[in-house]
Amino acid sequence: MTAEHRKFLKKNRARKIALHLSRILLLFVFIGGWELISYLEIIDPFIISSPSAVVKVIGRLYQSQQLISHVSASLWETVAGFLIATVLGTVIAVLLWFNTFLRDVLEPYLITLNSLPKIALGPIIIVWFGTGKTAIIFMSVLICIIITVIGMLSGFCNVDTEKIMLMRSLKGNKFTVMIKLVFSANIPTLLSVLKINVGLSWVGSIIGEYLSSREGLGYLIVYGSQVFQLDLVMASTVLLCFLAGGMYAVVSLLEKIIRKKFS
Amino acid sequence: MSILTVQNVSFSYHTVQEEVQALRNLSFSVEEGEFVGIIGPSCCGKTTVLNLLSGLFTPTEGEILLRNAPIRKSASRIGLMPQRDQLFAWRTIEKNVCLGLELLRENTPERKEYAIGLLRKYGLGDFIKKHPSELSGGMRQRAALIRTLVIQPDLLLLDEPFSALDFQTRLSVCDDVYKIIRQEKKTAILVSHDINESISLCDKIIVLSKRPATVKEEIPVEISRELTPLQKREDKRFNQYFKKIWSLLEDTNDCGTSKISKKE
Repeated sequence: MTAEHRKFLKKNRARKIALHLSRILLLFVFIGGWELISYLEIIDPFIISSPSAVVKVIGRLYQSQQLISHVSASLWETVAGFLIATVLGTVIAVLLWFNTFLRDVLEPYLITLNSLPKIALGPIIIVWFGTGKTAIIFMSVLICIIITVIGMLSGFCNVDTEKIMLMRSLKGNKFTVMIKLVFSANIPTLLSVLKINVGLSWVGSIIGEYLSSREGLGYLIVYGSQVFQLDLVMASTVLLCFLAGGMYAVVSLLEKIIRKKFS
Repeated sequence: MSILTVQNVSFSYHTVQEEVQALRNLSFSVEEGEFVGIIGPSCCGKTTVLNLLSGLFTPTEGEILLRNAPIRKSASRIGLMPQRDQLFAWRTIEKNVCLGLELLRENTPERKEYAIGLLRKYGLGDFIKKHPSELSGGMRQRAALIRTLVIQPDLLLLDEPFSALDFQTRLSVCDDVYKIIRQEKKTAILVSHDINESISLCDKIIVLSKRPATVKEEIPVEISRELTPLQKREDKRFNQYFKKIWSLLEDTNDCGTSKISKKE
């Protein structure tokens, strides 16, 4: 190894360490600043709560055995919505790739549904599915599925036509073209869709819980704001950050494994 | 003996605005083991010829016979080598070259061994388990040719296979491809707009007219097959062939139009 290269590696490692330290520092500054502002009452602690109050609320929820039930309710609704929307949306995209006529027929409806604010359908969903988990999961699916169909279909249609021609010249039929080329070429698209759906499925489940629920983090946020327990609202939001971040980390890990296998 | 016969083939395609005749009464034949070049002005219908020869399109009129059977029904095989290597990034080189075998359901251990043998023979033995991104442009192009050869085609179709390469790599890959095709005793058709490349590779060059394309002239290239494409470029007749083909193309270097009907 030359001295020049050693210097380059050292510089690269120093940048990485600085990056991680800066991230941790930013978090500490944020938490410390928040605690200080609240402690010194620069802003009314009733409005902004404080990190120590948030920890206390989480501890209280844990002791009263409510934490697990609320967290697991939200997590279950979100993961179910996320998986159903991703699988169903991909299957619909595959069908639309196979049938160009159907694709053209459905195109304006997909565009309209994509632009529609799904929360507007909330009251209808409650009437249809009641106030249970089904309605919340349906809301989550509704928010994710259209973007999944549009994203996957766009990826399928952008596969190099020369590659398709090559497969057809090798007597490949439309099914084998889909399996061996189109779908495989769109694994990166699927991974992007998964990452987008992590955020969207949380939006769906929390909105669903806002509208009709007796448990879950969305319910705690609405309940906390109604009884002016801002500590509870903040604690639920912090828990939501951790859960969404954790789910994103799982998808990123999956991405790493798949990319390693496919490239 | 002719392996391929193209008899009075015409082809038209349709858009909402118009019907365009791409080919008119195209006729030529290719002998077994011959390397034939098809050259013509831009948008003269070279790609259409390629799609017809690979059986992806059906002629509007006339017929194409491969070993005396209509090309779409023929049991004979056609191997297509596209402009870019089109190797699948997620497959190893071994799996890429065996793609045709998988699609034709001939992925037997013997055929796989044949594919690996070809990779070793043509300098890719150390890259069998690598992915395309780990290979140079020239190596990728060689792998693409081996993918075409693995299915043991009766006829090879080369669609400007060197156009995506830089000049230096192009010359060297051109030599490699020529050597491989000659050694494997394959019949090949090169569709190109590069006159030099066509002369250096082919035994015969078919010059097409502007659209609707028809055969303007067939030019036999009488430079020894034993020479490599690079050596052929040094032959004194090389420039004469170039001038002749250039003069034929000069009259036809614009995009001809042949709209049969136009929607009002």
